[in-house]
Amino acid sequence: MVSAFEFVPAIAVLPLVSFVVALTFGKWMPKKGALAGIFATAGSLLISIWTALTVAGFLGSETAYHEEIWTFATGIGTFDLHLGVFVDPLSSLMLLIVSLISLLVFVFSLGYMNDEDETGLPRYYASLSLFSFSMLAFVFADNILMAFMFFELVGLCSFLLIGFWFREDAPPSAAKKAFLVTRFGDFFFLIGVVGIFATFGTGLFATEAGFPAMAEQAITGEMPGPVSEFLSAVGMGAQQWFTILGLLVLGGVVGKSAQFPLHTWLPDAMEGPTPVSALIHAATMVAAGVYLVARMYGFYLLTPTTMAIIALIGGFTALFAATMGVVKQELKQVLAYSTISQYGYMMLALGSGGYVAAVFHLTTHAVFKALLFLGAGSVIIAMHHNENMWDMGGLKEKMPVTYWTFLSGSLALAGIVPFAGFWSKDEVLYEALIHGLGNPVLLVAWAMGLLAVFLTGFYTFRMVFLTFHGEPRSDTAEDPESVRWNVKLPLGILGVLAATIGFINMVPIKKLTGLKIDFLHKWLVGSETLNAEFLTGLEHYEPILKNVAGIEASYIAGSEITTLLLSAALSLGLALAGVGLAYRLYAVPEPVEHTKKLGGLRTLLMHNYYQDEYQVWLAEGVTLPLARVADTFDQGIIDGVVNGISSVSLFSGDRVRRIQTGVVSNYAALLTIGLALLLIAFGIVGGWF
Amino acid sequence: MVPAEYYLLLSAAMFCIGLFGILTRRNALIFLMSVELMLNAANINLVAFSYQWGNLTGQVFSLFTMALAAAEVAIGIGIILVLYRNFADIDVTKPTTMRW
Amino acid sequence: MLVELLIVFALMAAGLVFLVPDEYAGQFAAVLSLVPVGVSLWMYSIFDGTGNALLEGGQPAFETVANWITLGPYAISWHVGLDGVSMPLVVLTTLLTTLAIVSAWTPIDERESQFYGLVLFMQAALIGVFAALDFLLWFVFWEAVLVPMYFLIGVWGGPRRKYAAIKFFVYTNVASLVMFAGFFTLVFGLGDSISTLGLPAIAQALEAGQLGSVGGFGPGTVKLAAFAALFFGFAVKVPVVPFHTWLPDAHVEAPTPVSVLLAGVLLKMGTYALLRFNFTMLADVARANAALIAIFAVVSVIYGALLALAQQDLKRIVAYSSISSMGYVILGLIAFTPHGVGGATFQMVSHGLISGLMFMAVGVIYNETHTRMIGDMSGMADRMPVTAGVFVAAAFGYMGLPLMSGFAAEVLVFMGAFRSTTIPMAPLFTGIAMFGIVIVAGYLLRAMQKTLFGPFRLETDYEIGRAPLQDVAPLFVLLALVIALGVAPDLFYRMIQDAVFEVTALGLGGGA
Repeated sequence: MVSAFEFVPAIAVLPLVSFVVALTFGKWMPKKGALAGIFATAGSLLISIWTALTVAGFLGSETAYHEEIWTFATGIGTFDLHLGVFVDPLSSLMLLIVSLISLLVFVFSLGYMNDEDETGLPRYYASLSLFSFSMLAFVFADNILMAFMFFELVGLCSFLLIGFWFREDAPPSAAKKAFLVTRFGDFFFLIGVVGIFATFGTGLFATEAGFPAMAEQAITGEMPGPVSEFLSAVGMGAQQWFTILGLLVLGGVVGKSAQFPLHTWLPDAMEGPTPVSALIHAATMVAAGVYLVARMYGFYLLTPTTMAIIALIGGFTALFAATMGVVKQELKQVLAYSTISQYGYMMLALGSGGYVAAVFHLTTHAVFKALLFLGAGSVIIAMHHNENMWDMGGLKEKMPVTYWTFLSGSLALAGIVPFAGFWSKDEVLYEALIHGLGNPVLLVAWAMGLLAVFLTGFYTFRMVFLTFHGEPRSDTAEDPESVRWNVKLPLGILGVLAATIGFINMVPIKKLTGLKIDFLHKWLVGSETLNAEFLTGLEHYEPILKNVAGIEASYIAGSEITTLLLSAALSLGLALAGVGLAYRLYAVPEPVEHTKKLGGLRTLLMHNYYQDEYQVWLAEGVTLPLARVADTFDQGIIDGVVNGISSVSLFSGDRVRRIQTGVVSNYAALLTIGLALLLIAFGIVGGWF
Repeated sequence: MVPAEYYLLLSAAMFCIGLFGILTRRNALIFLMSVELMLNAANINLVAFSYQWGNLTGQVFSLFTMALAAAEVAIGIGIILVLYRNFADIDVTKPTTMRW
Repeated sequence: MLVELLIVFALMAAGLVFLVPDEYAGQFAAVLSLVPVGVSLWMYSIFDGTGNALLEGGQPAFETVANWITLGPYAISWHVGLDGVSMPLVVLTTLLTTLAIVSAWTPIDERESQFYGLVLFMQAALIGVFAALDFLLWFVFWEAVLVPMYFLIGVWGGPRRKYAAIKFFVYTNVASLVMFAGFFTLVFGLGDSISTLGLPAIAQALEAGQLGSVGGFGPGTVKLAAFAALFFGFAVKVPVVPFHTWLPDAHVEAPTPVSVLLAGVLLKMGTYALLRFNFTMLADVARANAALIAIFAVVSVIYGALLALAQQDLKRIVAYSSISSMGYVILGLIAFTPHGVGGATFQMVSHGLISGLMFMAVGVIYNETHTRMIGDMSGMADRMPVTAGVFVAAAFGYMGLPLMSGFAAEVLVFMGAFRSTTIPMAPLFTGIAMFGIVIVAGYLLRAMQKTLFGPFRLETDYEIGRAPLQDVAPLFVLLALVIALGVAPDLFYRMIQDAVFEVTALGLGGGA
């Protein structure tokens, strides 16, 4: 029987084909290329499911797969660069998520773009297909260079799609900003990639020959030859150098996953079409950064400093972004900040050793945030592209499907039991807490994450109440445009998933009852080959977490159950408190802007802590003037010297030519003098005197 | 036999007279004459050495020089005529248009 | 004989095109120039050279040696051949010439036959530069390139064409003079140990440490002086900051097709010669001064990029960014690692294609709008969607987008440079140079946002429409090549690696 693994490359190639088709023939196709994308992503989804089943072990004994499929650049006397496929539980789960959401977004786009008679649709669908291609290839990349390559391509697609409405002023500017800010992160990432190749001679994620395994050996056992050679050339210890490498790669992660301080591009990215926001700027591309950390978790575990920094960045971003989400007036802006905040949770989990929790939250978040964005898209269609929540209100009765699915997503986001977000967020906080009890840095990160739960509950339901409840506050809200099946179907699917996907990993229930229902956990533990041969299973990570990273679990009052219940009660209680506050303030027929009461704080929050301002200042207030100074210097000094030399030649030529007087006698005199001088010179040299 | 030094002295003297004429005089005709003097100074040298070494090459060469001098005078006088036609003078310091 | 065929055919084509009436010259030249393209691609497919042409054990393909003239103790021969470094550059030259000719159809509207004739003449000389393996022969071709270039800029250029052409000619000629003097210092130093001016013979004699003293200076000093003279001579051509100021003027004044050739091929003469002379023949001196050369490289990258950021003229932006990209080549060469030198060589080809693409894209916009100033236009994507699309692709190629050749070249250079044991503090140098990829994104994104996107606005009085097919077609060909090389760098990289591998071992112990 053919193995699914041989078809894994097709998961990415199908959307690539659809990219080419949509770009070249999209203009003449029905639905302008959407169908190509739908078929391609549907194909990808089917193969992804097949792959996932194989990884689960239902279809044979081979449960992980690594194959080099394309030699990129051959080196003689040095390492080769290649592209390859690596499938393990983590990547097959991510393939599933990406292809599912891609498919749903393609379907939704039929309603959002085609039904609205947008122009440039082939370009839209081509970019979207290219995005799916890049993201899927990124997910199954077997080495960090390939990951970087597709990471960048994903950035390109993001640029193209944010700037889709290029005839206006704002979208191209936002697109530029998004690419530039993530490029800044990628600069560090690329140094990291190059450094990893230079240090280990390989960029493989998995197996004994991969760089995490070599790094582990270098720290815990005998140092592999090439590594020690390079370390002595750099003059650093293994631990120190790996920390630097890890932090460099983290630069790319922070940029792409919109973590502090490189988060500023994401809210601006909302200038793109809403389905794009759902797919790229919420569910998948932004996840690339977090996924990358999970992908090379074996490497990060080796350096406790990096782990602590990841956790701190995560916790801080979760809180920081949540505070800004509280005052936003536009629907998509609230969602944008909530996205930043939620990715902060994943980073928090990864940094504090909660690998499963992070992947779990990644999964649930992808589902409920895609849902929320698509729901917002549905609202935006209804509101004729007015996104201001203060012009909405009372949409509940007019668009019930949207309302109920949006509510499901909101409950998940706020973390209300039993919706998906509760289970995953609870696990994140629980992991951070138990590992943080013995580690003050992690505890600080946990505290920030916990505080953000309250704010999340508040801003989420402020958004829900303002949008759907109360009285309509504008004419369009009185009579919203209706949406068709192609909007409702993806919403329905995701709405159900948002309510139920949390059940894949109900750790608290397992701990309380002993039922073995932590499926995701078991999934990531993986098979024996995964842990022994590929070294990317949870069983491989756990000892390193404890022994090398020095992150150990400890419990309040020494009891796991007590800690568990306390943590769950705390996060649920805070979330409910947030929801309750939102209900009190905004679930009234005629809500008012309570944010005014915040005074100066509100100004600060509305300006996003002046993060944009200082980054724009760095670009326009520092770099541009510096460039102008360089230009002046270049034109004045360097070119001045060059032109100066030519002026000196011209000037001296001008003077010297005055010897040519035109008077024959002068020439004769010069000749005579010359002859005399020559004779004297010869005389001296020849020794005549 | 008169030693070669005397001839050389004579030739040097003639050369210097010619040179002096070129450097100090303005009249183009005197210019030509001075040039002629210098050429003949060279001729004396050639003939003198030829006589000293008993080699006829120098004398033959001086014949060539005379022929050349004749040609030169022809052209030189032609130039002087043109000069006179254009500047109504044969002062060589007047025509200074061929400069810079 | 295939190399001769290429050169002679290009010369004959040049002569023929001179005679053809102006109306047909463009088409005729394009058709004629397809022959070298075909021949060079065929040569690529049957390429059987191994190793580096200059070093022992290297066997260039298509090699011919014929005695030409004897100059004192030296036999000057017609010695040509291609190895893994020069083969890709010859292919690049023939391809870019054809594309430049096609892209000249629209903008060049006077003295066409002379224009195309000069372009073809320059092609012959360029192929000669890359193929020659005898110094004097090489030098003849090297200088022969300058003459058509001078006229191409000086006759068909923009308003300040005379200034630019003379600056270009004098600057590069002074550099050639210094370089020539430097090289002959070496030749005199080698004395009796060489009997030809063949580059392989000289390289191997130098490698064997047979350099003697010249004029009372010891071999070490002679080498250093020769290295400095050669480096200056080639650095002007590359150009390396601070010898770069002729480049922006030349590019701005030159008509687009000439810019394409200037950036695409002429600059590579400099880096090619650096690789052949400074980094192969005098590898030990290069290694000893690695820190200084790496500083030149890094300054070129960052400073060139900053200058590009300050420009308002699209062509000036691309011109300055060429300086930046060439800095990577120098960085890769000085690294003396297989990926460093290989990546640098690959970058020569890749940058040739991408900068050609970029200049052509700017040219197509200029043909329609008659302006290149960023402030004079916006929203061009609305009126010229296809051109704008290619422009975006080209710009991202320039920024080093993966799966386009620029990325492969740059990442290989970085990997090579990072590991270098020659450059002190190699990771730091590499890291600083890599910041170039952020600045390049900055200025190209800014240029695109201002010219292509936003509401449509044009300050000139021209009615603009879509660009004609003949303008856009070369862009697509180039784009396809850039992507092909980006997906499969091994098309060229394998032969490059084969040719440069030996170079990386040079200058470690031996030599004088």
